[in-house]
Amino acid sequence: MKLLENKRKLRSLREFLYILPFLVLVAIFAYYPLYGWFYAFFDYKPPFPLTWDRFVGFKWFHTMVSNKVRIAQLLSVLRNTFAISGISLAFSWFPMMFAIFLNEIKCTAFKKFVQTVTTLPNFISWVLVYSIAYSVFSSTGAINTVAMSLGLLEEPKIFLASSDHIWLKMWLWLTWKNAGWAAIMYIAAIAGIDEELITAAKVDGASRMKIIWHITIPCLLPTYFVIVMLNLANFLSNGFEQFYVFQNAFNKEYIQVLDLYVYNLAMGSGGYSLSVAVSMFKSIVSVVLLCITNGISKLVRGHGFI
Amino acid sequence: MKRLLSILLVVCLVLSVALTGCGDTTGKGAGPDTPSGGGTSTDGGSTGGDRVISHDKEITIDNYNVAANYQGVQSGWFGKLLKDKFNITLNILAPQVAGDALYQTRISSGNLGDLIVLEGSDFADCVQNGLIRDITEEIKNWPNLMEYFHQIETYNKSIPGNEAGKIYGIPCQMTNTSPTAYSQDVIYSSPQLRWDLYQAIGAPEIRDLDGLLDALEAMQKIHPTNEEGEPAYAMTLWPDWDGGDNMMGIANVVQLTTWYGEKIKGSVVLKPDGTFYKLTDKNGTYRKMLRFLYDAQRRGIVDPDSMDQDWNAVYPKIAAGRVHLLWYSWQGGFWNTAERLADGTAFIFVPVMDQNYYADSDTYYGSGRVFGIGSGVDEEKFLRLMEFLDWYASPDGLEYQHIGIEGFNYTRGSDGKLTIKNENALMDNLPVPEEWGGGGFNDGNNAINQWIVDAISINPKTGEPYSRTYWSTYKEATRTEMKRQWAEKFGAEEPAEWMKKNNKLIVSPNVSVTLPTDPNDIAVIRNSCEEILEEYSWKMIFCGSDDKFDALWDEMVAKMDGNDFDLVVQFDLEKWQIELDAKKAAMENQ
Repeated sequence: MKLLENKRKLRSLREFLYILPFLVLVAIFAYYPLYGWFYAFFDYKPPFPLTWDRFVGFKWFHTMVSNKVRIAQLLSVLRNTFAISGISLAFSWFPMMFAIFLNEIKCTAFKKFVQTVTTLPNFISWVLVYSIAYSVFSSTGAINTVAMSLGLLEEPKIFLASSDHIWLKMWLWLTWKNAGWAAIMYIAAIAGIDEELITAAKVDGASRMKIIWHITIPCLLPTYFVIVMLNLANFLSNGFEQFYVFQNAFNKEYIQVLDLYVYNLAMGSGGYSLSVAVSMFKSIVSVVLLCITNGISKLVRGHGFI
Repeated sequence: MKRLLSILLVVCLVLSVALTGCGDTTGKGAGPDTPSGGGTSTDGGSTGGDRVISHDKEITIDNYNVAANYQGVQSGWFGKLLKDKFNITLNILAPQVAGDALYQTRISSGNLGDLIVLEGSDFADCVQNGLIRDITEEIKNWPNLMEYFHQIETYNKSIPGNEAGKIYGIPCQMTNTSPTAYSQDVIYSSPQLRWDLYQAIGAPEIRDLDGLLDALEAMQKIHPTNEEGEPAYAMTLWPDWDGGDNMMGIANVVQLTTWYGEKIKGSVVLKPDGTFYKLTDKNGTYRKMLRFLYDAQRRGIVDPDSMDQDWNAVYPKIAAGRVHLLWYSWQGGFWNTAERLADGTAFIFVPVMDQNYYADSDTYYGSGRVFGIGSGVDEEKFLRLMEFLDWYASPDGLEYQHIGIEGFNYTRGSDGKLTIKNENALMDNLPVPEEWGGGGFNDGNNAINQWIVDAISINPKTGEPYSRTYWSTYKEATRTEMKRQWAEKFGAEEPAEWMKKNNKLIVSPNVSVTLPTDPNDIAVIRNSCEEILEEYSWKMIFCGSDDKFDALWDEMVAKMDGNDFDLVVQFDLEKWQIELDAKKAAMENQ
């Protein structure tokens, strides 16, 4: 009996060792950084060391909301984050539809060409995307030059330094960069659809649109929901580079998202402690969002995902 | 499950201890100690006091440098010079390239580098926290540094907590002139126009800013494009320098306030009478110059690219002749060549009669940046760094830094005077001779980008400043028809001379003080007010009507005041009063 007990122990130890590397990774990259939260409770200013006489308690959390201008700023940052993430969530079906229609192209060479061309932008950094945007849309860029030489415009139209439709523009840039890449997952899922289903539907006389509507889309929905769920988890982290490179005095009011705000606070002014406090605030909002989504999932599907 | 959790916690703990430990290593900046290759070290060693310093061992110096625009190992001809002379490899760490986070991570690890170039106030913080080595005893052995001992001592005594006068830092860009002298020919910021265009519109006398706009508008009318047919504008602006140089506001406006004798110091403005007022004063010069740019925009003479371009997009425009107004003295370097000075198409100062100009005097006590040695270096490296710094401050070293290579950039006449050669070496990145390792001159130029002694200082070997534009041979060569016309019209040889003659130049003496850095509360408010100020300033320049301009100004002021701007103003009033008092004392002692 004891031997058996020992064997079981040994086995569970071995199985524990299997997952140990992953636990270590999680510990290093997810839990260890939390120790940085200390800074939010101190008046940290390098090179002065972090000593107890610099302990300030919740001062920086108060500072965040200490006057009307700052509250307004925080609210507008939240509004921008929600709006930009909301738009991309609302259009999250776009890569799926793109994959479906791409799959309908019968000419393989053309299909491959389109797929390559749309996937490539994913590998370009945002800085380069901006330089492309600049050379196309600046006042001496391609569009203005062509429009002016054709006599369509009297004077150059300002595209970049304006806040008109900025959220939509940001979504368009993101889609241009990411759609092809995001479609890969769906293309793989389409390849996994049982051919028999489609053949059977064809025998029954289903048209192309009918096949898409009744077979392809329903088969893709589980993949779609997983991806939406993953996007939801990143709702507040809608990237920083994109908005960092596109920001200027004219669109900042609408483009400054949480991550960019934290960066601007810490790097612009050395307000490290305050920016840690703001990023903690972000974590709190994330947890609230998670609970809400989980609640909705419980209501709709009968069970949550945590 | 419980056991799993406890193991997990132990793992966390061990990791955090191990990783925290990573931050504490100091003094490991040096590279591998490989012995030098045969014959790389041309002179065997030099003396510091009665010691002989050997160059047999190759060392790598980590240079943390706020002035550098380049990060990495110094290459090219200057790299070869350091290798041959001192057997040193210079590794530059540049926050301008790597971002300001570099400073934070390095100081929290306790080791900034071996050779350090910092802004004065940060330097004082580092001295207080033991990051900088005390060089009080050692500096006495080095004659070239001791030439400037008065300035060095004065600076170090100004570091808070160092009343005993220990020596830690060596100020940058000291001069051997005087703290109240003004030696430049052209002041840092003044309106400069293309002489041929100014002549073409009839060389009108310009009374005020409106007159300047009239002239610029007329110039743009007769010269709407450059020779290649690309559009040219009276002025082009760029936002990427905003908020720099201890001045709140957008960079293109803050410089222009010096045209009316005023100088922005943080959130306050210093008037010629020695009093301060708040930057957002409705009658202040910041608003006046903002209005000047707005008026220009309304006349259609501001480059519409201005809002979304950076400096790297601007200087090619200057070099291509697409800009009609320059306001920094050094901007002329992108256009004015000997050839253009000869055919009269160069930029030159044209006075606006109601202006009087503010200028900082020669940087006798230094520019505000400081050289120091990291506290982590070992004894051997310390001596070799001192040796390097001594050479860096010597006439021999300064000729390399400020002029270049003898025989390639200049020749020495029999009377000892220097004559320029390959004037465009820097501008066109000319290849240097093979014996210097080849490569472009600009590519291999000194990437430290900061000097212990300023170029306006007198070179004891020639009796003239190091800066080539002040050499008698250069002045002789550039006495062109254009300069003759200019001198005849305004009755002076050089712009600064005209200003002095007409009582239009306010020179602020150079003093050595260390001002306090912002505490975090102030830094945070300053930053968010700065953001508001910049955002609205740009909107105001490019808005569509006078009413909108006024409305935006009021909105901006209300927003800044609502964000506790007055706390920053109060802090700045006390901070800059320290400098002002020192300046007043310097004037009285003159």
